[in-house]
Amino acid sequence: MSTSFYIGALELATGAVLVCAVMTLWRRQVRTIVTMLRLQGVALACVAGVLAWHEHDLGLAITALLVLAVKGVLVPWLLRRVIRRDPRSRETAPLINVPASLVSAAFLIVVSYVVTSKLTALAPSAATRLVPIGVATVLVGYFMLVTRRRAVSQIVGLLLVDNGIALVTFLLTAGVPLIVELGSTLDVLLVVVVLQVLVVNTGARHGSFDLDEMRELHD
Amino acid sequence: MLSFLALAIPFLMGVISLVVPWRRWIGWASAVSAAGVLGIGIALCIATSSHNAVTAFHGALRADSLSSFMVVVIGTVSLLATLQTPRVMSQEIAEGTTTPRRASYYVALMQAFITCMLTAVLAANLGVLWVAIEATTIATTFLVSHYRTKKAIEASWKYVILCSVGIALAFLGTVLVYFAALHSGVGTPGTVSLNWTSLMAIAPHLNHGVMRLAITLLVLGYGTKVGLAPTHSWLADAHSQAPAPVSALMSGVLLTVAFYALLRFKAIADAALGPAFPRALFIVVGLLSLLVAAVLLIAQRDYKRLLAYSSVEHMGLLALGAAAGSSLAIAAVLLHMLGHGLTKSTLFISSGEIAHAEGTTEIAKIKTLLARRPVLGGIFGCGLLALLGFPPFSLFISEFTMARAEVDVGLWWVVAISLVCLSVIFISITNHARHFLLGGDSSVAVPLNARSVVVPLVAALAASAFIGVSAWPLLTLLRAAAHVVAR
Amino acid sequence: MTDIGSSLGYGFIASLTQVVLVAIGGPLLMGLMAKVRTRAEGRVGAPIYQPLRDLRKLMAKEGLRARYSSVVLAAAPLVVLGSTTLAVAISPLVTTHPLLSASSDLFVIVYLLLTGSITMALAGLDTGTAFGGMGSSRAITIGALAEPALLVAVIALSIQARTSNLPTIVADTITHPVWTSTPTRLLALVALVIVVIAETGRLPVDNPNTHLELTMIHEAMTLEYAGSDLGLITLGAAMRLGLLFTLLVNLFVPWGVATGSSVLGLLAAVVFLVLKTSLLAVVVSLIEVHSAKLRLFRVPELLAGGFVLAVLAVITELVTR
Repeated sequence: MSTSFYIGALELATGAVLVCAVMTLWRRQVRTIVTMLRLQGVALACVAGVLAWHEHDLGLAITALLVLAVKGVLVPWLLRRVIRRDPRSRETAPLINVPASLVSAAFLIVVSYVVTSKLTALAPSAATRLVPIGVATVLVGYFMLVTRRRAVSQIVGLLLVDNGIALVTFLLTAGVPLIVELGSTLDVLLVVVVLQVLVVNTGARHGSFDLDEMRELHD
Repeated sequence: MLSFLALAIPFLMGVISLVVPWRRWIGWASAVSAAGVLGIGIALCIATSSHNAVTAFHGALRADSLSSFMVVVIGTVSLLATLQTPRVMSQEIAEGTTTPRRASYYVALMQAFITCMLTAVLAANLGVLWVAIEATTIATTFLVSHYRTKKAIEASWKYVILCSVGIALAFLGTVLVYFAALHSGVGTPGTVSLNWTSLMAIAPHLNHGVMRLAITLLVLGYGTKVGLAPTHSWLADAHSQAPAPVSALMSGVLLTVAFYALLRFKAIADAALGPAFPRALFIVVGLLSLLVAAVLLIAQRDYKRLLAYSSVEHMGLLALGAAAGSSLAIAAVLLHMLGHGLTKSTLFISSGEIAHAEGTTEIAKIKTLLARRPVLGGIFGCGLLALLGFPPFSLFISEFTMARAEVDVGLWWVVAISLVCLSVIFISITNHARHFLLGGDSSVAVPLNARSVVVPLVAALAASAFIGVSAWPLLTLLRAAAHVVAR
Repeated sequence: MTDIGSSLGYGFIASLTQVVLVAIGGPLLMGLMAKVRTRAEGRVGAPIYQPLRDLRKLMAKEGLRARYSSVVLAAAPLVVLGSTTLAVAISPLVTTHPLLSASSDLFVIVYLLLTGSITMALAGLDTGTAFGGMGSSRAITIGALAEPALLVAVIALSIQARTSNLPTIVADTITHPVWTSTPTRLLALVALVIVVIAETGRLPVDNPNTHLELTMIHEAMTLEYAGSDLGLITLGAAMRLGLLFTLLVNLFVPWGVATGSSVLGLLAAVVFLVLKTSLLAVVVSLIEVHSAKLRLFRVPELLAGGFVLAVLAVITELVTR
């Protein structure tokens, strides 16, 4: 694979991950948000695949397939099952409105660029230069987790954080040892299963699962 | 071999409880498996007492003195918690709050929880440590939501979201450590791994900027699981809504196991960066936890949440002890872990019994407990005394030693602030205890018949008192374990 | 001397060509977009040169001014037209060496356009009617989010070319075709399309055909104008549309712009520009046909999204250099 093609493909896939993260902040329809998450999973798998091809690393290639299966297929499918139970499918009143969220996201992207300069300086390469994009995804996911009311939006924020960290892992170290990667991806899957079970169970027992109504526990 | 057995026993017990339908004997069998773990822990301690490490599976599992001590702690608290299982589950099935199938899941999840914690302390690879701690989050979520009430589900939701975010940050920190190791200039890429021993060997060559970022993320990430401020808000909810034995296990050991992970990483950071930066980090989170706990304990209305915030306080104390970092400090930290495990689990189990007997967890609605239920109230009261750091209980000696170690290193101002916070906490807890334990005319005293509650709890308190007075059985062990991570 | 003289002369002729082209082409573009729209709706519609006819009709009429208006109302049409003409003259539309090309900076063009917008908003307020004020406030709300997005998106391009001089950016893009396919360009393109739709007042931001009070933005500001004044304003708006479209096209697909100093190249560039801009106008018109007008408080969401994409373009450029 020629270097310029490798760099171009890597940049495109990494950029797609961040654009999907921004789109989840932008759109209100929960269905669209889940579709963005699926695209992000596919883009993440592409990043891992491109890196695996370039480094001729079999473990990373297996990881790429695993990421595609879990984050591109299984997790969005589980989320759709959660949405189907929930009659209200729009994020109508986030804590911070959409334009302000988007401007904050732009600010967070700049912050991530500034903060990760030390990391890139240690081992400059085409891959490590893209680390700020991974960190930006983590920050956008964290922001979404904190400012959204719907249960599904919070799950999506958590998944964005996980995807961003996975992206940083791929770019910095071409993946950690295979068993850790396996554990990490399976854990993401299990967390979504757990959350889906919680939402479905509460939905069946107590009516819908609106986090806004969950304010009984406090000091 | 021993390490493998330590993992295999609870794992098999979990499988059995899934396959075989619920009977009382399954609950007793789970207690036996916990006793087995404790026995193996003691055996490991003896095996590693000469500063050698016991490995299994080509070095995938590694037990040095520190890990062995942690296995002992896990075994002890698990024994206390699993001894309650037969009684609690039968009670709930009789009352209709649980079905036999859910009781089987309960036992299986508890065993899975214990297995994951054991994997975490026995893993040689820090990545596997991470996977194990993440797995405990998943196992405990279902345990927290065991009662399936609205509050329980809200608590488990908050728990799984906050802890998953924290664990994700910890993963990023681990990846950064790996990244620094790959580019440390020592060893070829094939030999670099996330094994703790190999990382300690190359620690002085790790890049400073990256390691600073990594240790900050790790303290924030694993600190969420430990319950340190500012990411402590899940603790009170989760520990108050979970069944009492689960709270006992979580508060008594899970927090400690996550702190063990922090100790391992701190050792690497100390070797890489020098003591100043990690110490500052630990002081900040430690003091913040103490302050938060002190403030929130003043106006507590629920005694289970009170116990949970007291856990935040003790984790803060552990962080301050770890900040000091000397051999004496770490030994005190480890002793504190054991003492806190014993005391907190006693308190949570008896609080579960109180909640079941009185029907409420609010402090204001319970009065004259000591007069009406002398044994139960007595155990709870003694437990509170132990928690507050009264001699002869072991928490007194461990807190005292930590303070002394901190002063030795020059952190006298930290000791001063923590003493102020501890005084405030002392006053708050005593005040609350006074409200619901003491007073009242002579009402009819209801005796407590269940031996499975009284015997283990009294034994735990007695053990704590014994350790507080004479550290004989543990002295060499503590010294050896502290030597592993101290500077 | 002859070089400077000839280059000055060439620049003058090129800029003059640009001004005439945009002055005639702007209304033709509006007509083309209206034609595409009516055809898509299944009607025959007015011919493409209808806006030119309307302009001729308006210029022949008397420009009435409200009694209590000030010099702002009188001057606004001239300021709008003048600033837009100047912006057209110095932009790299048919050539990379227009008049005053050293001053043809990104910020200068944006601020010239901004001068026109602000003057229009002030004129809307000038007569003291409710509709004028409402239209001005809406226009400024949209402008407040569109301007940063526009600036940041073109800054992304200027980082790539290491200069903010627009003719130089266009020239460098011609000599480095590989730049066009970078993620930065794609992100900046999407952001700029959103901004251009907002700035020119097309759907889904503003409906150019509406005269309902609730939905007017640009029309509300020009409600008080009549006759030749309205004609000047309409010409200014059309030239603004033409400028934004041609700039968008030339920043991303610059081939066809004359780089040398030959008259033949100039003529060829005119043809290419007409073709490219017509294509863009058809595409934008098709977007208009398929989208409904956004509610006013949703417009900031769209523009904030464009802003974020522009910031993403800048960061991507910084990160991948």
